[in-house]
Amino acid sequence: MIQTLDVNPDLAKAQNAEAGASKFCPGCGHGMILKTLAHTLDDLELQEKAVFGCDIGCSLLSWNYMNVDSVQTHHGRTTPVIYGVTRANPGTIGIAYMGDGGGLAIGSQHLVNAAVRGENMLIVLANNTNYGMTGGQMAPTTMPGQKTETTPYGRDCEVTGKPAKGAEMVASIVDPNKAYVARASVSNLRSLRKTFTKALKNVEKGGFSFVEVLSICPLNWITNNEGTWDRLKTMEEFFDVKEFVQREGLE
Amino acid sequence: MTTVKHQGFKVENVAKGKADWYCFTDLCKGCGLCIVKCPKKCLKWSKEVGIYQTPAVEPNPEECIGCGTCALVCPDSAIKVNKK
Ligand SMILES: Cc1ncc(C[n+]2csc(CCOP(=O)(O)OP(=O)(O)O)c2C)c(N)n1
Ligand code: SF4
Ligand code: SF4
Ligand code: SF4
Repeated sequence: MIQTLDVNPDLAKAQNAEAGASKFCPGCGHGMILKTLAHTLDDLELQEKAVFGCDIGCSLLSWNYMNVDSVQTHHGRTTPVIYGVTRANPGTIGIAYMGDGGGLAIGSQHLVNAAVRGENMLIVLANNTNYGMTGGQMAPTTMPGQKTETTPYGRDCEVTGKPAKGAEMVASIVDPNKAYVARASVSNLRSLRKTFTKALKNVEKGGFSFVEVLSICPLNWITNNEGTWDRLKTMEEFFDVKEFVQREGLE
Repeated sequence: MTTVKHQGFKVENVAKGKADWYCFTDLCKGCGLCIVKCPKKCLKWSKEVGIYQTPAVEPNPEECIGCGTCALVCPDSAIKVNKK
């Protein structure tokens, strides 16, 4: 029987407990990534120092998700907004949160330049292999043969070129002595928490961190619960889940 | 700390009485991702509904081992397993 409960959900301190149910669709990976990020901020006691920026796309639905100073900006511009904040207030733990469309297509120049310059920040890029908010069009990350709204017969790489691999690209341009670059997946949130821990510790040391997270979008994939997890497995076969760059001394 | 009170239901004495299992129905969106991940396959659709009036989830208390996997994966933090 449904009643008023005398216990609270297991939310992180860095999560906004007043917001109620998140604005994401049922089963969206954004919620998994953000709750894990919030728990990691708690682990490292970084809530007070953190500034969180979200992009255009479904990531913007997190504008009231975190119990951290938050700002919402335009496609990919979350990156320069956040390192602007960090440059103006050294010691800030700047976190830019975006989708694969925002980070790897529409605002990709910002990601490239922040990585080359080694800006002191964490970029978290949720890769759900489509443009979620606008209805599931092909993104740079859409896999070969994958059906989307704009590739109804499956992505044909002869026509569209090959999918973008964000973590590999960033890994090839960063300074390995200052950077942490990894790809993780929402299939293993314990491991994601470890990845975020290293990424945030690197930011505390003044470095640049980039974490791409393979994520799920049941709404646009038109998958049920089992189909969603299965699709994520296919993604993990296509995109290597691993650490690409790890500066010395990070645990 | 939050002062917000949540709606939901409690399944008492899972894991041979070592834990209580809770579903917050004002957070559960009925995605069913937890059902697939439950190692005991003991999580099923419930008669109770979640925030979108779609079925929430409920474990069979005889089989649930209180491992918390469902709570870990839930994108909406709608499950809690309280070890006693
Ligand atoms: C410059 C610009 N071009 C296009 C749009 C329209 N638009 C809004 S959200 C979106 C897709 C975002 O996809 P992604 O970054 O992958 O995030 P997701 O919604 O999948 O989380 C697009 C194309 C926009 N807002 N600004
Ligand atoms: S459209 Fe996809 S990415 Fe956007 S909230 Fe829904 S499930 Fe999440
Ligand atoms: S606590 Fe473990 S065994 Fe019990 S319902 Fe959740 S996942 Fe299944
Ligand atoms: S408890 Fe969470 S994971 Fe399970 S159906 Fe409800 S919202 Fe989805």
